[in-house]
Amino acid sequence: MNNDSIIVSNLTKKFTFQVKNKASGWLKNLFFPEKKEIVAVNNISFSVKSGERIAFIGPNGAGKSTTIKMLTGILFPTSGKINILGLDPTKDRKKLAYQIGTVFGQRSQLFPNLPLTDSLEFFGVMYDLSDSDIKKRIAELIKLFDLGSFIDQPVRKLSLGQRMRAEVAASLIHKPKIILLDEPTIGLDVVAKKSLRDLLLKINREENTTIFLTSHDVGDVEFLCERTIVINHGVVIKDLPTEELSTTFVNEKYIDLIPENIFNSFPELPEGIRYSLKDKDKIIVVVNIKKINIQESLRKLLNIFEVEDIDVYNVDLETVIRNIYERN
Amino acid sequence: MKGIRLAKKIIKTLIKDCLHYPSRLIIDTFGVIARCGVLLILYWYIFKINNGVISGTTFVFAAWSIFFYFSFSVLRLRDISRLMMQDIQSGNVEVLFSKPISYLFYRIWWQIGSGLYSFVVITTLAVIALGFIIGFPETMTIGIFIPTLILTFVCASILSLLLYSVVGLLSFWIEDINPVFWIVDKAVMILGGSYLPVALFPAFMYKIALYSPFGAAQFVTHTVYESWQNNWYQLVGIQLFWIILFGLVVYFMFKKAKQKVSVNGG
Repeated sequence: MNNDSIIVSNLTKKFTFQVKNKASGWLKNLFFPEKKEIVAVNNISFSVKSGERIAFIGPNGAGKSTTIKMLTGILFPTSGKINILGLDPTKDRKKLAYQIGTVFGQRSQLFPNLPLTDSLEFFGVMYDLSDSDIKKRIAELIKLFDLGSFIDQPVRKLSLGQRMRAEVAASLIHKPKIILLDEPTIGLDVVAKKSLRDLLLKINREENTTIFLTSHDVGDVEFLCERTIVINHGVVIKDLPTEELSTTFVNEKYIDLIPENIFNSFPELPEGIRYSLKDKDKIIVVVNIKKINIQESLRKLLNIFEVEDIDVYNVDLETVIRNIYERN
Repeated sequence: MKGIRLAKKIIKTLIKDCLHYPSRLIIDTFGVIARCGVLLILYWYIFKINNGVISGTTFVFAAWSIFFYFSFSVLRLRDISRLMMQDIQSGNVEVLFSKPISYLFYRIWWQIGSGLYSFVVITTLAVIALGFIIGFPETMTIGIFIPTLILTFVCASILSLLLYSVVGLLSFWIEDINPVFWIVDKAVMILGGSYLPVALFPAFMYKIALYSPFGAAQFVTHTVYESWQNNWYQLVGIQLFWIILFGLVVYFMFKKAKQKVSVNGG
């Protein structure tokens, strides 16, 4: 049985817009304007299994949001096919909307002047739930998202963290099978971010909701997503388990050296190893594992320095992602 | 059934929203009193210096005609254009397009809901006040007045929503629809009889008001005149013609607009 919830095949989106040609007269610019074409998404393909948690990452202008908007039926693809839960978003947008939830981090779907319950009830009606189902689901969401303390407050009086929890709750009113989130943690503080990530993880585990998110926050990717798709210039450049991102993309390891007493000198290092930090109490070196393996570099470093402790680790995910973007 | 339930919910939610902020109603009321009141005082004076009759019309007819225009304007149906433009410019359109609703249906009912509370309260109070101050013309007391007023009011509402939706939908192509909105809105104001009661229009202008969609969107202003009793079905027929025409235009424009969506910032 095929349990893919999203199948994207050769998806392309081009935007055309008019540009003013300074060499031409206004009449020509008005009636025969020059057109420029931008390929926002270029022939991408991927599939997502039911219940998976996917990070769809890339630098600004990479094509992430455009892809999400095509997946939800907001934008029409120039070419290619999308199949979400057996539906084509371009033809079955409304049917599909019953199956998916969307959260756009920079936009609100809630009524600012009314208490949150009004927005939740409103979306319940919008998704054609019966009055009793709406009440039941709101009670579930209040418990799940811990909304009780501010459920009766006007939305505009909520903190950004509370509002984002409310936004996600509102997008789950109809128990969607997939939730697509476009930068859901943008602008949140670390506590609110963690709280939102915990909640998303919870709904994924408890309701088997597929999570598809775009984010610039490495924490979202690291904490939440088991698989990462990297897109740049509209092209998928990598699709792999999140934990493999560091090992696949970066040929560098970090080694922390803690001295027995203190480091008095910082001699020249063997080829393939360079200093990242020179301190009396700690040295950090970066090893290019393409040039020298870890075993060899440790042996050479121990010959140079007298150390009490050694720690070998990968670079952090942020560096990895930066590295990926810069390469492409 | 789902559509009716959603429409009711939109209206109920927006009325609740209005009740949370009674100051908006007070501002709307003062707005109508200021604009309509000043015009009525001016016309009262003009009719007075013309011995109470101009072109066979008395002040009472003119005053009620002008009032109907302002009462109708409290519904703010024209704001649907700007709301659509804001949706496009802010990118909010993506939130609505991701829901299981028709964007157009949602915006139309939203617009009706936005002004309904103010309309009912202000119109009720103003009818009582105006009736008390200047009285009712005989034409407003005959049997067919109320049913035909309701009929033309419903047609005018639908036509206004469609007319301004056409302007609003243009934002899918040109983003800033303000110049087009300004032209259409002023045409509706003038031909609808907001500045000058339709009974005082010169013949050629009266014909334009009668046969153009801009005038037809305000036929409620014609209902107080004696001629209404004989030609109401003709005027409602004109409204229906424009409703069908603009309905088709809106339908096809929206069909194209859906494919033209490009969300700012995305």
